[in-house]
Amino acid sequence: MSLVLRAQVAAASHDIVPSWPLDSFIAVNPLAGAESQPFDFAADRGVALARPTADYVTDFHQGRIPVEALEQALVARVPALAQTVSVGRTELPACTIAALDMIKHPDATAAPEAADDIRLDSYLSTWVAAYLNPDPLWAMPHREHGFYGAWRRLGVVDPALSRFVRRRIAAAPEGPDAALEAAVSAVAASELREFLRGQLAPLPGWVAHIKWRAEKVGDIDLTSYLAVRLTLAIALGSVLARPAPTPAVGVDTTWERAAHIAGSLTEDGTRPEDVAVVARVLAEHPAAEHPLTWQAAYEGAYQADLMEILRSTPEPTDRPDVQVVMCIDPRSEGLRRHLERYRGVETLGFAGFFGVPIRFSRYAAQGAINALPALIAPRHRVTEHPLDAESATRTVASSRMRGALAHALHAADSATTSPFALAETAGWFSGALTALRTLAPSAHARLERALSPRPGDLATRLTMEESFTLQERATMAATGLRMMGMTRLAPLVMLTGHGSHSTNNLYQSALDCGACGGNPGGANARAAAALFNDSDVRAALVGMGLGIPDDTVFVAAEHDTVRDVVTILDRHGIPDSHLHRMREFDELQAEAGARLVAERARALPGGRSRRQVTNARKRADDWAEVYPELGLAGNAAMIIGPRELTRGVDLARRVFLHSYRTELDSDGSGLETIMTAPLIVAQWINHQYYFSTLNPHTLGAGTKTIHNAIGTLGVLAGHRGDLRRGLPWQSVGFGAQLLHEPMRLTVVIEAPLERIGRIISGNQVLRNLLDNEWITITARNDIHHPWHRYTRYGWAPATTLTVRQKKETPQ
Amino acid sequence: MNNLTRMTRLEIVVPARDAPAIRELISSAGATGYTSVSGVSGIGHHGQHSGSLLFNEYDTLTMLITVLPEGKAGELIDAVRELLNTSSGVMFVADTYVSRPEYFQ
Repeated sequence: MSLVLRAQVAAASHDIVPSWPLDSFIAVNPLAGAESQPFDFAADRGVALARPTADYVTDFHQGRIPVEALEQALVARVPALAQTVSVGRTELPACTIAALDMIKHPDATAAPEAADDIRLDSYLSTWVAAYLNPDPLWAMPHREHGFYGAWRRLGVVDPALSRFVRRRIAAAPEGPDAALEAAVSAVAASELREFLRGQLAPLPGWVAHIKWRAEKVGDIDLTSYLAVRLTLAIALGSVLARPAPTPAVGVDTTWERAAHIAGSLTEDGTRPEDVAVVARVLAEHPAAEHPLTWQAAYEGAYQADLMEILRSTPEPTDRPDVQVVMCIDPRSEGLRRHLERYRGVETLGFAGFFGVPIRFSRYAAQGAINALPALIAPRHRVTEHPLDAESATRTVASSRMRGALAHALHAADSATTSPFALAETAGWFSGALTALRTLAPSAHARLERALSPRPGDLATRLTMEESFTLQERATMAATGLRMMGMTRLAPLVMLTGHGSHSTNNLYQSALDCGACGGNPGGANARAAAALFNDSDVRAALVGMGLGIPDDTVFVAAEHDTVRDVVTILDRHGIPDSHLHRMREFDELQAEAGARLVAERARALPGGRSRRQVTNARKRADDWAEVYPELGLAGNAAMIIGPRELTRGVDLARRVFLHSYRTELDSDGSGLETIMTAPLIVAQWINHQYYFSTLNPHTLGAGTKTIHNAIGTLGVLAGHRGDLRRGLPWQSVGFGAQLLHEPMRLTVVIEAPLERIGRIISGNQVLRNLLDNEWITITARNDIHHPWHRYTRYGWAPATTLTVRQKKETPQ
Repeated sequence: MNNLTRMTRLEIVVPARDAPAIRELISSAGATGYTSVSGVSGIGHHGQHSGSLLFNEYDTLTMLITVLPEGKAGELIDAVRELLNTSSGVMFVADTYVSRPEYFQ
């Protein structure tokens, strides 16, 4: 086949974002491939970028979107609307007329959808699933010939197809490249890329996963997928041309809307010249623009509220008793706020992998996890070394015994006839356990924990010294201290990662730490604590001008975001001198956690009850619970700066918080790292929630209640069809109500504007995100300078939203 | 030239996220190998690129270098050019000389 055709396939799939398997689910912007284009481009591809305009109008009437925010958004999007016009005897800003149009004429047209070939897609998805599913009991025959080769050999005997179709498949070329070339031979070269793009559009979940798999595993690629699809389509006689989505059309014409508005502005009858003036204004802002302008106003109102509550308090000088370093995850904000109510406690925000990217495996365990952001590749393997060989032997033997038992039960459960015998012999026991699990999930969980020692119960040390050179360890520690903005260190520094404990939850990893590759952050916290407590590293840090006081001890911990309990890790490593501080911290974190659970429970579906703390924590063990927690629902902003900006402010667990102090980052490299890594991860998460909320059936995974796992690849809705991608509806909504407010990420930075501008100029990913309005940045040099907004033409003073009196609000 | 064999060298600079597609084309063209340099910096059509980032290998630029016989190079050049028609990146093509041609056949 012509290599150019492969290039055409690559070009057609350029904007498709690879989809990770479910066991390492990480949040990604599903439209990341299009970040080099303006945000509103996707409207042309049938993607909903905003809520129905009627919803925004409701927000407007409820005061959620002030008219000033709407007018500001209008002028920002269409500068010509800043001018004044005359309608009758009234002079008023054009943006006020345009705002009236948006309020009075909500355009309720839904995002268009192209019709798919249901028969072809259904058949194809079954074959893709059969090929990729690692079912241990049945391997697809002829798999060694690749996807196209295996399908072609089996398709000719597939009874689901007619004899005529099977004959056509048999006549198809043997290899995928030749088959694809034959299939597209009738397509004009100038139309080939769009044609292929159209063929990749149905089954977007499988296509995105195949793209990931082609890069990471290599047993399938999009060329072979397209070869099967098109060969089959031709054999079935399907219509190959995919109809273009029909653009949304407004309900009324511009003239009709103008007449309506002009009538409401003039008291002595509507004159044609007044209607013409209004129509000219409306033509500047056509109905198709309304949804995104509403969205901008919606975000502007939130940004105004956020900037209003930020503080400018001076940096505290007293040495704190405890510093708690937590992940930037918005869920940490709640616990930080409650912990800081105690005197002597200071908190900081840092990416949850604590600057220590590792591939981690537990002692004597099979497999390993990539405990690092998806932006980087794992290079350092870290494992555990037991401190007590005898107890390690016992623990391993016990784990193997339980593993063998579980394996035997699973094997008996999965074979053809043995389930009957299993049900006869062990069914009563299993039934009792199931009843206990259903009726008393907490009791079942306690029993399970009593019978299965947790991995952390074995005292171990991490093999940091074997995995990193001293130079690497010292550099990581120095980078961490600079990026965390720690000007002074407390005697006790808690490095607190986070994980989410839930039961029977296929999306467990979506609730774990995104900076740790969708894994709990405990391993990274332990690795970082080991690093900072290492005497050789401390000696090297002195040489870098970053001394750690002798009495400072770093302790690893993990925050369970379902129960809001902090578990101390590696307790055996805490020196006696710090045990009393540790006990004090244990007590206050328990109190802070209980207060946070009570706060969160009010937002959980069905969470308001007399025993809301207990009930919210019970969700972790309830295998029927589809809302164990709300994860990062509501995330809307990221603040990079000292804690003085936000201490004592309730940010409602909606803000990623990364500590940063300009004075500790002389060359700006720390800020560049924050803006090109944690900020990017936060943006991915933000857009994942955004698009899963607005497109729950195409870019979201739909409702969890009908999900079936297909190996560890992902989930299907029902037993066949497309692989679902994105977040399930239970992460972003409840019934018809949204739990997540879809807003593009508002980034707030306290650092020299020149430094921020230089970093943006040097990084295309940031330029794309900002110039194309995927995110916004508002910044100030320090507390003595005003806020500025980044625009593609440079920094502009950030406008404040002065809400007019209610009587002036247009009705 | 000193008993060296003439070959064609391609240097392709693309965003790291686009590198897998280029690698696949290189392999499909029959090249026996390639060299990948991540985090390259410079200034080009799309502005400045600062180079390697501490915790982000995904949003940097990657340079892929491959050497192959002239007979195999033409199709690869056409394919890469086709791909770069709609995405950012540059390709440099030059004659080069190798001492062990069997490594590149």
